[in-house]
Amino acid sequence: MSSDSERFAEAEDGGPQPEKHCGHGRGGMGEDVKRKEDQRFITGRGNYVDDIKKPDMLHCEIVRSPHAHARIENIDKSRALDVDGVVAVLTADDLREYDLATMPTLMADTQDVLVNDKVKFQSQEVAAVIATDRYTAKDGAQKVVVDYDVLEPVVDAEASLEDDAPLIRDDIEDKEDNHCLDWETGDEEATAEAFEEADVTVTEDMLYQRLHPAPIETCGAVGDYDPGKDKLTVHMTSQAPHIHRTLFAQVSGIPEHKIRIVSPDVGGGFGNKVPIYPGYVVAAAASYVLEQPVKWVEERSENIQSTGFARDYDMTGELAATDDGEILAVRTDVLADHGAYNAVAQPSKFPAGFFNIFTGSYDIDTAYGSLTAAYTNTAPGGVAYRCSFRVTEAVYLIERMVKVLADELGMDPAEIRRKNFIQPEQFPYESSTGWNYDSGDYEGALDKALEMADYDHYREEQQRRIDEDADKLLGIGISSFTEVVGAGPGKTCDIAGVEMFDSAEIRVHPTGNATVRVGVQTQGQGHETTFAQIVAEELGMDVEDITVEHGDTDTDPYGLGTYGSRSTPVAGAAAAVASRKVREKAKAIAANELEAAEEDITWDRESGEFHVAGAPDRSVTITEIAAGAYMNHPSSEEPGLEAVNYYDPPEMTYPFGSYIVIVEVDRETGEVEFEKFVAVDDCGNRINPMIIEGQIHGGLAQGIGTAMLEHVTFDDNGNVTGGDFMNYLLPTSMEIPNFETGHTVTPSPHHPIGAKGVGESPTVGSPPAIVNAVVDAMSHAGITHVEMPMTPDTVWAKLDEAGLATDPADSISLEFEDQSSDTTADD
Amino acid sequence: MTNTREITLTVNGTEHTIDVEPRQLLVHAIREELDMTGTHIGCDTGNCGACTVLKDGEPIKSCLMFATQADGSELMTVEGMEDLPEARGDLHPLQEGFREEHGLQCGYCTPGMLMSGKALLDENPDPSEEEIREAISGNLCRCTGYQNIVRSIEYAAEELEEVAAADGGTTVASGTDTSSADAPSAFDSEFDCGVENCCGGPTTDRNHDADTGGEHK
Repeated sequence: MSSDSERFAEAEDGGPQPEKHCGHGRGGMGEDVKRKEDQRFITGRGNYVDDIKKPDMLHCEIVRSPHAHARIENIDKSRALDVDGVVAVLTADDLREYDLATMPTLMADTQDVLVNDKVKFQSQEVAAVIATDRYTAKDGAQKVVVDYDVLEPVVDAEASLEDDAPLIRDDIEDKEDNHCLDWETGDEEATAEAFEEADVTVTEDMLYQRLHPAPIETCGAVGDYDPGKDKLTVHMTSQAPHIHRTLFAQVSGIPEHKIRIVSPDVGGGFGNKVPIYPGYVVAAAASYVLEQPVKWVEERSENIQSTGFARDYDMTGELAATDDGEILAVRTDVLADHGAYNAVAQPSKFPAGFFNIFTGSYDIDTAYGSLTAAYTNTAPGGVAYRCSFRVTEAVYLIERMVKVLADELGMDPAEIRRKNFIQPEQFPYESSTGWNYDSGDYEGALDKALEMADYDHYREEQQRRIDEDADKLLGIGISSFTEVVGAGPGKTCDIAGVEMFDSAEIRVHPTGNATVRVGVQTQGQGHETTFAQIVAEELGMDVEDITVEHGDTDTDPYGLGTYGSRSTPVAGAAAAVASRKVREKAKAIAANELEAAEEDITWDRESGEFHVAGAPDRSVTITEIAAGAYMNHPSSEEPGLEAVNYYDPPEMTYPFGSYIVIVEVDRETGEVEFEKFVAVDDCGNRINPMIIEGQIHGGLAQGIGTAMLEHVTFDDNGNVTGGDFMNYLLPTSMEIPNFETGHTVTPSPHHPIGAKGVGESPTVGSPPAIVNAVVDAMSHAGITHVEMPMTPDTVWAKLDEAGLATDPADSISLEFEDQSSDTTADD
Repeated sequence: MTNTREITLTVNGTEHTIDVEPRQLLVHAIREELDMTGTHIGCDTGNCGACTVLKDGEPIKSCLMFATQADGSELMTVEGMEDLPEARGDLHPLQEGFREEHGLQCGYCTPGMLMSGKALLDENPDPSEEEIREAISGNLCRCTGYQNIVRSIEYAAEELEEVAAADGGTTVASGTDTSSADAPSAFDSEFDCGVENCCGGPTTDRNHDADTGGEHK
């Protein structure tokens, strides 16, 4: 923290600002500024990768394996090359000439760009057809003849670790099984002792099923090599263009200054667009070799079946507690499915991401966690789907287990949380697994949520329905989660060796407006507005006078990208610090303009003006200072008014919240209806409440998708049976209720503007609240868990198990009596 | 291209005659032959609705129809919204609503949502929340959770009512040349999206539902 105060010594108000600003009418902190980016999107003028059209552009179609596990015996390109308009057909043999047959994953595994020898998952990339248009490319792809020697696949992590399981990774020297990695955290012995001595222990098995981030825009790229400039430009759906440029340079051998990555408008990312996929490499390589632009854009099924999935953690949770509900210890064991390659997307020193934050919002002295990861014949992944590197799985585990414990002890789940919360005076708080929580007031958020939800009323209503044997049961679920977001610091967090800092550069122009460039990249988060608000706040400018640019490695400062809710905690801090650097220089210019000593110049946040101390009338605006910087600069300073900051965060930030979900469970059909959905979030100081609320809504909808609908499934032959939008069900407007949002404000003490990240809190925090609610509807009958996705048949089976299901046969026969014979059932 | 056919599409009031392969999807003709990239592609199976356009006033999923099937029809895409009379030289009230109510984040589903919203308000100028939710249920959004999209369409309905009142009290039912009264409507028996078991039509359109067996996917 001392280095922190030094870092911001140049700012007179360097510490976090309490939530006192209201933007001062200039669109600064705390104002609901309408988004600058909207104009182009609502008028059809967005520019996504598939919208890019270049002269002589070719199209790439990837030939994918229909088998999950198969050795390639032969690839015959000849018939494809005979198709009029097919320019090239690439296989691993062709890429090998350029040393591009394989590529490193973000966890330093080696993945085939095009299959070298053996297919390891269905839809793996086997060959690429380059043709004059997308239809011809598809024609060509259909005529590539691949001879496969089909092998037995294994798509289940547990089965893959059995002795007789087929070996997937025979490309790894001396590899004899499908074991990927082991990991542990905490104190095993102390935890075992705590469990032995506890009054009560509970255990529950739960699967966090395989999901896919499924942004509505799939992944794609346009490789565009310019032989005149000897420069390769790749327009790609990238959440992290700078690190992608570095990886492209490392893999291809092309010098990094000869590569430009442009991430244009991106139609949602949610972690899906953090890794590098073979299609990007093929489009870039084909353009380089053919010296023509090459476009590759996935279809939806390719996106779900071959790009980074999320979760797939099969977890056992255990809690040890006293009779009166004090949690003494938590223990967990996880079997993780990493797919065919270890391609989890997280900081390299964290093989299980930030899963070891599974002590959650609670002051638990003792904890132990162990994890085994396996290879399976499924797509590689384990990306951080709208979450900070496995914190989602951790929150699900602890918030589910607290409900299990509350039911075991017959305690109110709100009360047991209150009893175990880390208290406000305990911050900064070091957890038993080594995390340093920056700030929090968990009880404050829970109290607010309980009040908004009218909790006591619904508890009474719940009991009434049980007493009256009502057709629809009521369930009330709570989740009081804590997130850990904003990676770095760089010393502990890196991506492929590059420290996880981020950046902002501000150029104030002679006429008083500014261009801000940041190292992070937006996929809908509204950076062009929120970063402008930070700079407006810190420089006293009007938000309308600031343009934010991002996503172009040729012009933007290097940064690690947008995922893990790190844009505001890291690049947002950089924008504030860079603004304060500009403000310091502005003081010297103001002194020159006002003919006063620099030390006598102060800046007034309210008016946004610089004035002589004690003489507010002698003032200049940032516009006047900008003119001075270029037209009348003081001899003590360089001309111009610019600053750049590369911000290495001293710690992560810990946003938190309490969600309360009230559901009705139909005892006849197993259907779950949302009666009330309350979300209270605390992300520290708030930059744009409208955007925050929008992010909360979207994340809650994804949480509902997770809890109720979504699951990437496989059959025993390795076929993906949940691999398109007909089978992988995203929630529609009919499944998503209206949300009631609220907030508390507990600023981060180490962040320059006291902000924390927020975009992922709802996806992380809501699934356990929803599951807890459904379980709560049946817990009086002994149900302790329902697996996600909680489809009606899953829920009905639990109702039946608990003796709560009413017999649908009765009402069906009644319906037959009532209806004419030719009517077919429809929803 | 070996086998092409000349077709005429009137898009946002402008007539275009183009040569297309019979197999070319309408969405590709719009995006790649006519260079109007506001209409997006998100799923290839008719589930996501990012490619929704109005064909003779009815919302259809342009990834589920061949361009040749749209020969002679009047299409409307997001690019035409600012030219509508109710936009009054600026943004259409729906576009304004999406901005005012924060009805978009990444923007990818937005053009399709605007088209479904327009089709709804043309038919039903004062829809309930339930009717709005049903009308956009064929359009997936992964960012917003839909709540603000509903608000955006409600905003537009109110604005349009004011526009209508200012224009002399007549309801603005459509007022566009792409959905004029004499254009064939979906349930005048001629409409066929060309894909078996799927009409791609609006879920709000009960008659249309009935014509196609009541199944909408």
